[in-house]
Amino acid sequence: MLDKVTLQILANHSRAAAENMAHTLYRTAHSTFVKETEDFTVMILDPQGRTIAVPMDLGATWHVGITYDGAIDMIDDYRPGDIGFTNDPYSGFVATHAPDTHLWMPVFHEGEIVCYAAGHIHNTDMGGAVAASLSRSLTEIHQEGIRFPPMKLVNGGVMDEQVMRIMTANVRKPDLNIGDTKALIGALKTGAKKVEGMIAKFGVDTFRAGLDGMLDYAEAQAREILGSIPDGTYTFCDYADEDSQGGNPVRLKLALTIRGEEAILDFTGSDPQLASSLNVPTGSDPRHTLLMVGVYYVLYTLNPKILLNTGLTRPFTCIAPEGSVLNPVFPAAVGMRSLTCARLRSLIFGAFGLAIPERMPAAPAGSSSIVNVMTTDERTRKSVIAAINPVVGGGGGMPHRDGSNGSGADAAYLKNTPIEITETETPVRFERYGLLQDSGGAGRWRGGLATVMEFRVFTPGTRITARNRDRSVFRPWGILGGRAAGPSDMNINPGKANEQPLGNTDIAVLQPGDVLHIHSAGGGGRGSPLEREPWRVLLDVERGYVSEAAACADYGVVLRDGAVDEEATAERRRAMAPRMGQGHFRFGPEREAFEAVWTPAAYDQLTAILDALPLHWRFFAKTEIFHRMEGDVMDALDAVRADFPDFPAIRLAEAAE
Amino acid sequence: MSWKLGVDIGGTFIDFCAFEAETNRICTLKVLTTPGAPGQELGTGIRLLQDRHGVDPGQIDGFMHGTTVGINTIIQRKGAKLALVTNAGFEDVIELARLRMPQVYSLFCTRPEQLITRDMVFGIAGRMLSDGREETAPDLAALPGIVEAIRAKGADGVIVAMLHAYRDPSQEHAVKTELARLAPDLYAFTSAEVWPVIREYERTTTAILNGYVHPRIAGYLDGLYATLEDLGAPAQPLLTKSNGGLMRAEEGRTACVNMLLSGTASGVIGAAWLARQAGEDRILTLDIGGTSADLAVIIDGKPQFGTGEMIGDFPLHVPSVSVSSIGAGGGSIASVDGFGVLKVGPESAGSTPGPVCYGRGGTQPTITDAMAVMGILGHSDIAYGQLSMDVGAARAAIAPLAEAMGRSIEATAEAIVEIAISEMFVEVEKMAARYGIDMRDFTLVPFGGAGPLMGAFLAREIGCAKVMAPRRPGVVSALGGLVADLKSDFIRTVFEEVGPGAMPRLARALAELEAEGEAWLRQGQGFDGPALSQVTADLRYAGQSFELETALDPAWIAEGDDAAIAAAFHARHEEVYEFNDPGTPVELINLRLVKIGQRPGLETLPAPLTEAEAQPDRLIEVWLDGAWREVPLFLREALEAGYRFAGPAIVAQEDTTFAIPAGFAAKVDGHLNIMLEQEA
Repeated sequence: MLDKVTLQILANHSRAAAENMAHTLYRTAHSTFVKETEDFTVMILDPQGRTIAVPMDLGATWHVGITYDGAIDMIDDYRPGDIGFTNDPYSGFVATHAPDTHLWMPVFHEGEIVCYAAGHIHNTDMGGAVAASLSRSLTEIHQEGIRFPPMKLVNGGVMDEQVMRIMTANVRKPDLNIGDTKALIGALKTGAKKVEGMIAKFGVDTFRAGLDGMLDYAEAQAREILGSIPDGTYTFCDYADEDSQGGNPVRLKLALTIRGEEAILDFTGSDPQLASSLNVPTGSDPRHTLLMVGVYYVLYTLNPKILLNTGLTRPFTCIAPEGSVLNPVFPAAVGMRSLTCARLRSLIFGAFGLAIPERMPAAPAGSSSIVNVMTTDERTRKSVIAAINPVVGGGGGMPHRDGSNGSGADAAYLKNTPIEITETETPVRFERYGLLQDSGGAGRWRGGLATVMEFRVFTPGTRITARNRDRSVFRPWGILGGRAAGPSDMNINPGKANEQPLGNTDIAVLQPGDVLHIHSAGGGGRGSPLEREPWRVLLDVERGYVSEAAACADYGVVLRDGAVDEEATAERRRAMAPRMGQGHFRFGPEREAFEAVWTPAAYDQLTAILDALPLHWRFFAKTEIFHRMEGDVMDALDAVRADFPDFPAIRLAEAAE
Repeated sequence: MSWKLGVDIGGTFIDFCAFEAETNRICTLKVLTTPGAPGQELGTGIRLLQDRHGVDPGQIDGFMHGTTVGINTIIQRKGAKLALVTNAGFEDVIELARLRMPQVYSLFCTRPEQLITRDMVFGIAGRMLSDGREETAPDLAALPGIVEAIRAKGADGVIVAMLHAYRDPSQEHAVKTELARLAPDLYAFTSAEVWPVIREYERTTTAILNGYVHPRIAGYLDGLYATLEDLGAPAQPLLTKSNGGLMRAEEGRTACVNMLLSGTASGVIGAAWLARQAGEDRILTLDIGGTSADLAVIIDGKPQFGTGEMIGDFPLHVPSVSVSSIGAGGGSIASVDGFGVLKVGPESAGSTPGPVCYGRGGTQPTITDAMAVMGILGHSDIAYGQLSMDVGAARAAIAPLAEAMGRSIEATAEAIVEIAISEMFVEVEKMAARYGIDMRDFTLVPFGGAGPLMGAFLAREIGCAKVMAPRRPGVVSALGGLVADLKSDFIRTVFEEVGPGAMPRLARALAELEAEGEAWLRQGQGFDGPALSQVTADLRYAGQSFELETALDPAWIAEGDDAAIAAAFHARHEEVYEFNDPGTPVELINLRLVKIGQRPGLETLPAPLTEAEAQPDRLIEVWLDGAWREVPLFLREALEAGYRFAGPAIVAQEDTTFAIPAGFAAKVDGHLNIMLEQEA
């Protein structure tokens, strides 16, 4: 067995190789997606395709435990200088929507593959029905751009020009794709060279032992964390606002079972796959990285020294029923799976919060809208497409401090663009960009505030998209007596006679002089707001985070002449105490109203009905039952059957139970 | 006889480097700092220089000073209480920053508390547009009420930062003028006067840092003048700057941000100078103090510059010498986790309480303690006799770790060093990829108190061909001041597509920058020597969101040769990013000018080489590569030019210890640097 000092040194060298790859890619990439949004990942894989090391400074956070075996195995006969690639969400389940293109390069030593250098870039466009290849309204994978199943992109060091020509013919910005792809190839070669250096330094046997040692170490660290969590099954549901444009909520359900140093994440009870692109393709992999992203955050939060690699996924087993939104069947569309993934993460945070309330924060805002504008520049008469800013909300209240304002938690990797740059490049004028008062969930530790952005446009027919909008209905929840946060919103001309609410819509068309207002949700509160020290509430009021009215209404803190009125505060808090409610979560009025009709039992019943239907009936049936639901699912089902005599017969025995 | 004196104040020591041109003499000294009364150590040191080396204060006609007073004010959060006046609707720009946070994997990630909290931010109506048109005049009528609020909260100064002020500073200026009328006792800085660059967060934050440290720096400079006057030194003091140059100390009162990284930057400048003397021009500098290791690269003799260097929790956006810092210093603490895996840092015992072996209250084992246990440290006076060493205490502190790991104490100590080195290796790999360089072509130059302790181990890890250990590694920053030029940066945001239409505007901007630079150098600095202007532009392809600084020939602008500018950018893009795109239009975001007043170069003549095997002072027991070994100990003062020896070896001197593992051949060059070469 490898000694622990060598193991730690190998871990540092492996991370150094990954960091080197990340910086190389970042330096040589072409597109804004890679350069500014940092939507890329790189890693070192072992010969079985398991992630060994990832960078900590650059890139996205989703792939620290990814396994490439599904894609690797679809190519045989690797030779030195080969590079495999795929962007097909349904071949090998490494890529998870068409813009994400994954590459992997075997590293040989004496004729044997000793590891792979791998990574992904998010291409700006892969063709298909809409620019950027992403829209909630798409219904099947074929609309989401060209797909390349796992194949060799580079043969013995020579790029396959035919593959590149096919890509060039099918996508809208081929130069960007090819430039970024070449940059990623350069990074993989760098990584391979670094690995060869490690083998020369440490010897191949030590290197091989190190790969296993690093996986084992991460596994042991994960097991230690799980061992510190009380055994039990912790069940939680969270909802996305809409399952399609103007549609019904999507329920995600998780039963998290902790037993000793292992955990089972059972997502049974989550919605059937959707006739929109919100599906999350996971290929029945019990440790698929998209199912595990929330877990990465939980583990790292509980032990920031944990080694990030596939080893930490070993104690976990996920169950995501085939045909569900978390394990869709071909050819379900998957382009906007990032919206659902945000809910999936909050679902996991919520379940762990039930298990270890003393160590977990409340829900983060959980909706990072990427705002783009398509307009005409009046100065040049040219059309302009520009990313304005991500609108990200705050983190949830933490065990010992407030949630971070404006961004944080699982959205902390996003960057904004300076207003001065955007205004110079794009014909928009900002009216406001900042934090939204009273949007953080009240609590002993307040949730982080939402971000608000308002800008004016000057050209007819200016189109706005705000991808990933969610949390406009179902708020980020509070825990342990902390309140839910303010919901997100988008409207045109706020406060004016021609104000136009947009609900959960993610697109808008503006006319000259119109102002678009968009704000995210805030972070949920943690602990009873009545226990928040009045001086902190006063400070929040002074800083404009909380209004004086909310200080009184939500926190029971009465202010007079800029100071806390101790007596009035004590009295108000006494009066409020009995009305503070019970239970671990605070969901806010919208979910309470929804669950008054769709009780958890009723929704379980719905899920059972849908499960009993053939796959292609499920989304239709859900929509129609929702439409007719007045309190009893079976009544609604009967009404649907009456209206649609062709509705398939189902065995309702277990569904009705 | 006339002396030039370089003085650098760090966290633990104040370093002196005095140079006498006629006799080519260099004297150095280190004195412990007096944190309670910063500046007092200066008088002590100068008197000691007189006593020990005969440096007459009355003969000091050049005084170059670097100080950490600014950066410490920020790190310790002991600066002024400030208010910010900005556009209504944009009060949260400084809190939102650029959104992305450190620790992106943690649900507990947070941003630091701002230097100006939200209750001290005041938005007023008023709006400048991106093309320099004023849409709404600033609402000066709101200022009396704001002044009243500021007074109620007891601020010392005000920062004024308005959108697009880099384009036209008149709104900020109007607000500042009105504030001065309403409240002459409050000092004010506007964002455009501190650094007029596009990007509101970066510009505002830089102005805030400036205002935050202003009173302390001004007070510090008052003390400095008084001390020099007391000593009868005729020198007009100069300050070392973040950009590696110098400016008159008086300017530091208002241009405070320009000196925040003074010591760090002049260390790199000093190391570059030493390397140049020795004929080396591709350098990796490694400056290790108590809490951190600072790495910088010098490519073809030129330090690398950048913006966004972190000052404590905040990015500084004036041009600065690029330095990567990691939390691995002599005081970094070692621990063993529940799985028997050893970790080193980032927690640090710093200089107080410091390593256990220094007996100043430290209880947790550090890298320095590991070095003591290995027998590398403790063979000469430490810090000119101002510290003593207790190896037994170091062993006792490492013993529990050794037990947890099932290793001997010595083997554990060596493992601590190895882990720390591998942490530094990660940082070096990042730098290599960022600059696109191969570190095997570089010479590692270790300096600072602990740089020479770790330098050769790091060189072995990254494969640097050579290591160059300067004769006086403890005073490289102080030396950097002696060899620096007067230097200042000037910037205009232009934001135009490069083409014939943009050329008149560029010519105008360049003329303005040149006039500013000349005025700074000639009037501001009272300098009448030879001067140099370097012109660069921040360029990018239309649609890119990041710029690349590219050197321009001013003649291109004068002659309206836009094609030459574009061609220079295409070439630069290829060089840095390994591709270019000549078909795409090029945008010029900022035009920059660096004004340099060239000071007489400092030359030291190499000593003649005496080719000989160096004779050790004695043999000592050192734990290296897994065993106790009998290793020669050399005293640095006995190592003459031309002497050779081979590793493993230890070289002890009054301000540091140089550890040389096996596999290196050592030779002393004509400047008394010890040059190591890795044996193939």
